[in-house]
Amino acid sequence: MEKVFTSKLESFLNAVAEKFQLYVPAKTDDHYTYNVYDPSGKKPVELNDIRTCTPIKEFLFPIRELAATYPKEFKPDDIKPFAVFGLKECDLRSIEILDKVFAEEDFEDQLYLNRRNNMFIISSDCNEPGESCFCNIFGGKGFAESGFDLNVSKIKDGFIIEAGSSKGNSFLMEHSDIFGEIPDALLSERDANRAAVQARLEEKNDHLKFDVTIKQIVEDGCDSDVFDREAKNCVECQACTRVCPTCHCFYLYDMQKEDYFAKMKMWDSCMRLSYATVAGGENPNKVLGDRMKHRLLHKFVHFHDRYGLDMCVGCGRCVDADAGGMDIRDILKKLKD
Amino acid sequence: MKDNIYQPINGEIVDIIEESSTIKSFVIKPEEDFAFKTGQFVELTLPGKGEAPFTPSSSPAETDQIEITIMKAGRVTGLLHECKKGQKVGIRGPYGSCYPVDDFVGKQVYIIGGGVGLAPIRSLFLTLVDRIKDFKSVTCRYGAKTPEDFIFKKTLFGEWQKIKGVEIKLSVDQAGNGWDGNVGVVTTILNPSDVDIKNAVAVVCGPPIMMKYVTLKLLDFKFPPENIYLSMEKNMSCGVGKCGHCMLGKYYVCKDGPVFTYEQIKGYPKIWE
Repeated sequence: MEKVFTSKLESFLNAVAEKFQLYVPAKTDDHYTYNVYDPSGKKPVELNDIRTCTPIKEFLFPIRELAATYPKEFKPDDIKPFAVFGLKECDLRSIEILDKVFAEEDFEDQLYLNRRNNMFIISSDCNEPGESCFCNIFGGKGFAESGFDLNVSKIKDGFIIEAGSSKGNSFLMEHSDIFGEIPDALLSERDANRAAVQARLEEKNDHLKFDVTIKQIVEDGCDSDVFDREAKNCVECQACTRVCPTCHCFYLYDMQKEDYFAKMKMWDSCMRLSYATVAGGENPNKVLGDRMKHRLLHKFVHFHDRYGLDMCVGCGRCVDADAGGMDIRDILKKLKD
Repeated sequence: MKDNIYQPINGEIVDIIEESSTIKSFVIKPEEDFAFKTGQFVELTLPGKGEAPFTPSSSPAETDQIEITIMKAGRVTGLLHECKKGQKVGIRGPYGSCYPVDDFVGKQVYIIGGGVGLAPIRSLFLTLVDRIKDFKSVTCRYGAKTPEDFIFKKTLFGEWQKIKGVEIKLSVDQAGNGWDGNVGVVTTILNPSDVDIKNAVAVVCGPPIMMKYVTLKLLDFKFPPENIYLSMEKNMSCGVGKCGHCMLGKYYVCKDGPVFTYEQIKGYPKIWE
């Protein structure tokens, strides 16, 4: 795969924007979110040091979308190829998790796949993991080695761009005029940066390294009163599930449009009281602590049993977003104790 | 199956049968080919209003139309009860697991149903009756609140009772005028002497509380958990194992169920809630 160097992001992003609808990180207060790229240069793009505060699932599985129509069947719009710049390794792993669900062979979700197949992924190394980042507990390193089309690593005098797919490789070859070759010294600088970030993650999250798997901790902690005790701090804002890049619950609802009927697909949250209620009124998770338990069981036990991996990437978005100050890391530690 | 997993096929309600004060059967003619296996469920859409999961009550052998028996229990079922003949509906599915009828061959099939739970069971019953000689016998124990609450009354009290190889016993929680049968919940008509446990399978469908106590009773009879088939009810929405609402432990009831053996799910908490 190709590896190239550029001293400025602008020419690279302009080249991407010629081919794709491009989304780039934009800083708001202390957080990054995504904006459409402005090629005029009026809003210079800053490479995000940390993941955005909003989840990447928004690009693949929008908050609300048209899922079906009646009586005439609708054909989902062709999605124009789009690129997202600045995804982090945790984001790439969250896409891998969503793929397990929505691209499962027996029932492929075409709405998801249309977007997924048209997404050009430009990831970047983490430079400043946040306080809430604990990706290394789930095998994260702060930089990606696969799952991207292109990956950008910031070094002192510019950026190293590496291809991770044939699509990415072709892009670099097509635009060879705007890139330079990389001296070996710059690759060593990148590797040193990566090692430093990885070491920082390992050090700061040392307290979360358990001698058993998280799956085991949650399974063993199932009958403890930790969930009920923790639930006392929960204000049921559901932010944890909304910002989580791997939470993918949704509900389907029907509505009347002007001259047709629509079935909509919209994000849902397992923290919502009536989430599991059936028509007769039974609800296995009436108690908030039980909903919290269900959420962790799904993430670390049931998803694992089904797909062989945890449904958490340790991005820490839920920790940052929670209005009640709930912290999944503390809950896991309490379950372990 | 459509390419878009959320797109229903169109259908029309061609007949409505009042089964009891709260239960109606809707005969639906799909506009496209539609086949299901007994025990599987469909998502029925009332266009613009909502969607809900139901297991058809008709025989899968009947392919030009399906029958869905619905109790008025929530918002969508309430609206469906107001529908008239000619109403257009949408159908997604069929989804999930079926009753493994071929595995029942040579065995006594012990069917226990309660209330509207007789709907999926009727589909199974008709499937079994079509090839009744393949089974040792079909023993049915059905319960309802009152005699009026039994569904499929005409056939239940009539021709089904006369089928060779079939034995049916009924019970009601509260007797009414003219009822000379058993009074009591359905577990009061379960008797170990009715069933050759070593060569039988049990099929249970009804309200969660009934399923719970029937299962406990069957376990008392030393019925092996792997031979107790349960038709589980959860909040199935997408039908394709993605939306999460119907999770039961690691299972999606919509995809891995709704038919489970008790052995599969006994380790999970709150299966009856």
